[in-house]
Amino acid sequence: MKFLFLLALPLAAQSFTPVDEAGYQKLVQSQKGSVVVIDFWATYCKPCRAEMPQLVKLEAKLHAKGMRVVTVSADEPEAMAAAKKFLAEAGAAALPAYVKRPKDDDKFIDAIDPKWQGALPALFIYDRGGKKVRSFIGETAIADIEAALQKLL
Amino acid sequence: VRTALAVLALSCAVAAHADDLSIGSPAPADFEVTAADGSHAAFASLKGPVTVVAFVSAKCPVANAYLQRMIDLYKDYSAKGVHFVFLNSNSNETAADLATVFPVYKDPNNRAADLFGAQTTPEFFVLDNVNAVRYHGAFDDSQNAARVRVHGLQSALDAVLSGRAVSPERTKAFGCSIHRVRHS
Repeated sequence: MKFLFLLALPLAAQSFTPVDEAGYQKLVQSQKGSVVVIDFWATYCKPCRAEMPQLVKLEAKLHAKGMRVVTVSADEPEAMAAAKKFLAEAGAAALPAYVKRPKDDDKFIDAIDPKWQGALPALFIYDRGGKKVRSFIGETAIADIEAALQKLL
Repeated sequence: VRTALAVLALSCAVAAHADDLSIGSPAPADFEVTAADGSHAAFASLKGPVTVVAFVSAKCPVANAYLQRMIDLYKDYSAKGVHFVFLNSNSNETAADLATVFPVYKDPNNRAADLFGAQTTPEFFVLDNVNAVRYHGAFDDSQNAARVRVHGLQSALDAVLSGRAVSPERTKAFGCSIHRVRHS
């Protein structure tokens, strides 16, 4: 029995919580009190994969000041095994991991940011009150992300 | 030098782009593109009574997932008189990468992408005979062809060709960001 529990533990630690428009709002609200980076990524997105380990390092550096990183995978169901594998390899398995599963991607993207077409990577910063204060669409230097965060911490 | 080029090639945040064109507004017309053979062409000379402007990439897996669908649409609607202007705005790609499939033009310094406010590959605009934007958005609503419910681009073309209102006029989908040059 104990053996079975140990087998299940790594899988549970890397599971993705499905999120739609309402779930995303709940996610943002649940992080109130922290400055949060919500990182939309996908296994097919090369710059997203390059950015992930940098975000992990940044989170470790700024964690004590109240900064958190949450990941949202935009992968299709067929890619979730690869997504789990990637997060583990990138050292990001401990970060809260969500996956987009709205009824309609179009409305989901628009609800998060009306100016966002759905391009990845996309990274949104929320202040401690849960208000979105910055959107970074496309590849962004990690120094620019840190500078935006430092103003809020 | 490589580092300097990499820094130069870093994409800009969305704030550096033009806001996307609203439906019904005039499309940008005054810019040049470069063919795979290096020749230049005025965008205005490539347009037809109905024009699809498609921002594409040879390296983006999402754009590649749509390649066969784009080829099929290109063949079917070229026969109906629609002109297609495929643009590669990525600073790390050439026009020749996809040019054997359909004619692809290079968008130097992602000027067209900036003028149109395009962020993603693949991303599409449909222009009518008075150069008004009638559709902006995704090819359809699923990267997996088996799960498609809304054929946004094709529906828009059918509507414009038959003089009907386009619905939906504006769609969004996940894709790769356009790899822009940095404008200082």
